[in-house]
Order: sequence, then C-alpha cells, then structure tokens
Amino acid sequence: MMNTKIIAKVVVLISLGLFLGSRLLNGTLSYYIHPRFNNLTALTAVGFILVGIVYARQNLSATSQEDSHHHDHDDHDSHHHSHDLSWWGVAILLLPALLGVLVQPKPLGANALVNRNINIDSLTSAKSPESNQLDAIATSSERNILDWLYQFQRSGDLSQLNGENVHVIGFVYRDERFDSEQFMVSRFIVSCCVADAAPAGLIVQWPETAELKADEWVEVEGTLQMGKFNDLEIPLLIADSVTLIDAPNHPYLYQ
Amino acid sequence: MKTTDLDAQRSSSENLEGKERSTETAVSYPSSSRAVNIIRLLTGVLVLLIFAGVLPGDIRYFLDDKLQTYTTIFLGIFIEAVPFLLAGSLVSGFIAVFIDRDMITNYVPRRAVPAALTGALMGFVFPVCECGVVPVTRRLYKKGLPLPVGITFLLSAPVINPIVLASTYVAFGFGPILIGRYLLTFLIAFTIGIIFHFAKPEDVLRPAEETGIGLVNTCNIMPTSTEGQSKQRGLLAIITAADDFLDMSRYLIIGSLLAAGMQTFIAQGILLGFGSDSTLSVIAMMVLAFVMSICSTVDAFLALSFANVFTTGSVLSFLVFGPMVDIKSALMFLGVFRRRTVLYLILLPLLFTLLIAIFINLNLGL
Repeated sequence: MMNTKIIAKVVVLISLGLFLGSRLLNGTLSYYIHPRFNNLTALTAVGFILVGIVYARQNLSATSQEDSHHHDHDDHDSHHHSHDLSWWGVAILLLPALLGVLVQPKPLGANALVNRNINIDSLTSAKSPESNQLDAIATSSERNILDWLYQFQRSGDLSQLNGENVHVIGFVYRDERFDSEQFMVSRFIVSCCVADAAPAGLIVQWPETAELKADEWVEVEGTLQMGKFNDLEIPLLIADSVTLIDAPNHPYLYQ
Repeated sequence: MKTTDLDAQRSSSENLEGKERSTETAVSYPSSSRAVNIIRLLTGVLVLLIFAGVLPGDIRYFLDDKLQTYTTIFLGIFIEAVPFLLAGSLVSGFIAVFIDRDMITNYVPRRAVPAALTGALMGFVFPVCECGVVPVTRRLYKKGLPLPVGITFLLSAPVINPIVLASTYVAFGFGPILIGRYLLTFLIAFTIGIIFHFAKPEDVLRPAEETGIGLVNTCNIMPTSTEGQSKQRGLLAIITAADDFLDMSRYLIIGSLLAAGMQTFIAQGILLGFGSDSTLSVIAMMVLAFVMSICSTVDAFLALSFANVFTTGSVLSFLVFGPMVDIKSALMFLGVFRRRTVLYLILLPLLFTLLIAIFINLNLGL
C-alpha cells in the first residue's frame, strides 16, 4: 500500500518531467508559452526527473526500515510521516500530463477568438514599443500583423498608408460583423503564456472569402486601402492573393 | 457547515499515519477500497498511455475545439507556473532540513511593526513569485515564524524581489508605475500583516495535523555532520521538496483548471471596453488579474500592452493585486490557512487596492 503510493508519486514526478521535455523537443511548447521560457522549462524537466529518481531511491530503500522504526518522541519537527496524498490527489496530479497526451496539442485558434471578442477599435491603437526597432523593418512586405498594428498607431493619418504592400500570414476568423467578402487574417499576441493571448488581425477584403474556413492558415498578399468595416473607417487589406498554407511552427507573435 | 466538517474529516483521515489510516478511511468511505482499486487501475492504464503515446489518431483526437482551447490555456498557465512552484518547494525542502526553529525564534522579530517590515523585505532573501512563495511560507510557519511576518511575506514577496524589480524596470522604466507598484505593494502587505498581528495563529493557520506537510525525519540523521551526512541531509531536503511539491501542485492544478475555465467561457472583450473610466477600469483590470493568474515575474510585460488604453491607477491595480491574489494562488492559500483566513487574504488586498487605485485615478491624474 505504502509502496504503491510512493511509486505513484514517482510516476507523477517523472511523467511531468517527460511531458515538459517532450513538449520542448517536439516544438509544441511554443503553443503554450513564450520561447523565452524554453531554458527554464528544460531545467524544470530535468529537475522533475532528478527529484523523481532521488525520491524513488530514498523512499523505496528506506520504507522497510521506516516501518519498524517506531516514533515515540513528541518533537513534531523531527518526526517523519510520509504524509499522504489520497488517490484523488494522485489523479489530479496526473491531469496535466494526461490532458496533454489525450488532447491534441493545438495553438489557440478562431474558437478562442470568439470568446476574446476582439475589440476592433483597439486594432488601431495597439501600444507600440518605444524603441526604433520598427524603423529597421524597412520594407513593408516584411512586417507581420503586429508590426502593421504598431504602424497604424504611429501614423497620425491612416490614409497615408493607402497603397502600402502587405504580405502577412495568419488564420482565418469571421463573425457576424464581417460582410460576405471580408475576413480577418489573425494571430494571437502572447507576452508570457497563452493565458494572456490577445487577438490581433487585419481585415481582408477578398471576393472568394466564402471558400475559406475558420482556422485555416493563409498567406495574404495585397495592398492597404481605407475602407469600412462594421461602420468603422479603418485600413482594409485588399487582397490580390490568398493562399492556404500549413500552420507555422511558432503560431503566435510575441511582444 | 456540513461540507466543512466533512472536509476536515477527510483531510484528517488522509493524514493519519500508515496503519491507522487504512482503517480510518475504510470507516469514512465504505466503498473506498474498490474506488482505490479502480483508480489505481485507471491510473496504471493512463500512465501506460503517457509513456506510449500510441493511441490511434481518431481516439486520441476525439475531443472537440472547445476542450482543445481549454486544454491549451490550462497547460499554458500550468507550464508557466510549475517551474516556480518546483523552485519554491526546493527552497522549502532545504529550509526544512537546514534551518532550525531556534534560528527563527532568535532572529525574527515578534513585535508588530518590525515583524511586518521583516516580512515585506524577505523577498530579497527568498526571491520567489506567487507560486513559490506559498510552500516557503508554509514551511516557515512550521518552523515557528510569527504570523504577521509570514502574511506580509506572502503578499509582498511576489513583487518585492530582485527578479520582478528587474522585469518591471525593463517594461516600464523608472517612473510612476515602478514606484507606485512597489510603494502600494509594500503599504498594503504591511498593513495586512499588522492586522494579522492581532490574530491568534491557531485561528489563522490550518492545524498541523491537517496540512499533511512533510515533516522531516531527522531520526536517522545525526546532527554532527560529516561529509556523508550532509549529503544525506541534502537528499532528505529533496524528498521533502518533492512531498511539498506534490501537495501544493494539487492546488495549482485546480486553480489553473478554474482560471482556464473562466478564460474559455467569459468574454474578455467586455472588460477591455472600460479602459478610460476611472473606476470601472480599475475593477476591470483587477478582475483580469484575478482571472488570468499570470506569474508576477512576467506580468509587467503584459501590463505594458494595456498601458496605453487603460488608466494609470488600473494598470497599477493589475500589478499590485494580481501578484497578491489570483485564482491559482488563492487556491494554494488553502493549503496553508483556514478557509476564513483565505477569504480575508482575498478581500483585504482587493479592498485596499481598489480604493487606492481609484483614488490615484481621481486625484493624481497621472
């Protein structure tokens, strides 16, 4: 009984380590957190495995001796009971690794966007970084969606951007506010982990929008033109071409 | 009331020692041995799956989009928090083995003001975020830490430590946000620490036999430390850390599940509409901080993205309240304190932060 519980705990520790490690190695860790945590996650994965090994070695070799060793002194602090976790506790602890295995790893998509109900006003007022790094992106076709939103915010007169060439990738999102030839090419912006993911996107004008399905990744090329979206005057991306592509390895844009 | 009794009974039955426990559990849960067997079987099968990962595609990917979104957010919160909880547990393990009660009784002040001050600055000794701080505090209470020191430490350490100082500085530079964050965190944590100075520890802390904290077996370790024995003590610290981690991470997991649920099913767009209102913006940002449960080491970067749209007071409230209380840390508090105390530890920071942030918005016009 005692031993089974210890084995269960060791399994929890080591499976957490393996889970984190495998997510890191197959690249799907970027679906969950900012890449700046990669080293920390690697360290944690190794830590779990090491702690699990120490835990197994010490406890499994010590238990036989532990049982015969009767505690009769009152000093609580020098008193060991391998304190106990119920089996429900063990089940809860296995949950992260289990969910990770049973549910296909997938980045946030159009489904999550519905609940994060994008505020179109904020599209043109995204906070831009103080630095001059934006100027370094000289050719407009190299800008991603976030760079464009910064650009919108920086330029006092949005109509100056008319005719700029745009070349971005993102997933397809639509809701009832979009007219039949419009969709949003969207990315999630992540600062630390997906818990803070905020949607961003450009409204695309494309005659064959009806053929696109939500969540499909597309590459959009076209030019900016002031236009109307849901009675709001904002820059629209008038697409020349919309091509289906595979989801990128790093699905989010990072702040 | 009924549930409380039941829970107390359950947790006390969980924590009785070896032989007694099996009979005790059998009494409170007649069907428990069958349940245990089923769970054991299921666990075994599922563990097998973890290692194999060879389920046929359509069974493995049967779950729909909503669950996928939910799982992604849950794992996001968990994966981000778990390194810090492990680190906190390791610190706790080493405190358990290497720090004596006497050291704390001799060196930590007991009078209200010095005690709260000590707690507020302890984050520089133990740099931990809001996940790591809970096992450390719990361990220190086991070692006889005075109540106000621990409370102030718990509330302030997630902000008042070198790592968060650096990340806040990188995000906002030296200015009203940085100064405000530290000043408010200090004032609020200090005040609440003083308030708890007048409480009795036994009314506030969960009783020792109920917390199931891994007490340290020093029976077979001689205090005279030769080299081999200090290695032994190191290993013991790691085992204690593992037990602490296993114990606390239940709360982290349940907290992350709840937080992910709120995120998946509640529209955040509504909150973002209140950015410029001096009162509503503060409430919105505090709700956001509570629900998002973001680690204090990185929340400054997120707050930066709101800084343009939201009032200064509300951004400050996000940076002050979030590290003190959010869904996952509130859940973890349950591992240390009685339920009523946890309620106070949520409501007091909430009230103070709300009032001060609204005051700033209305009067300072930053």
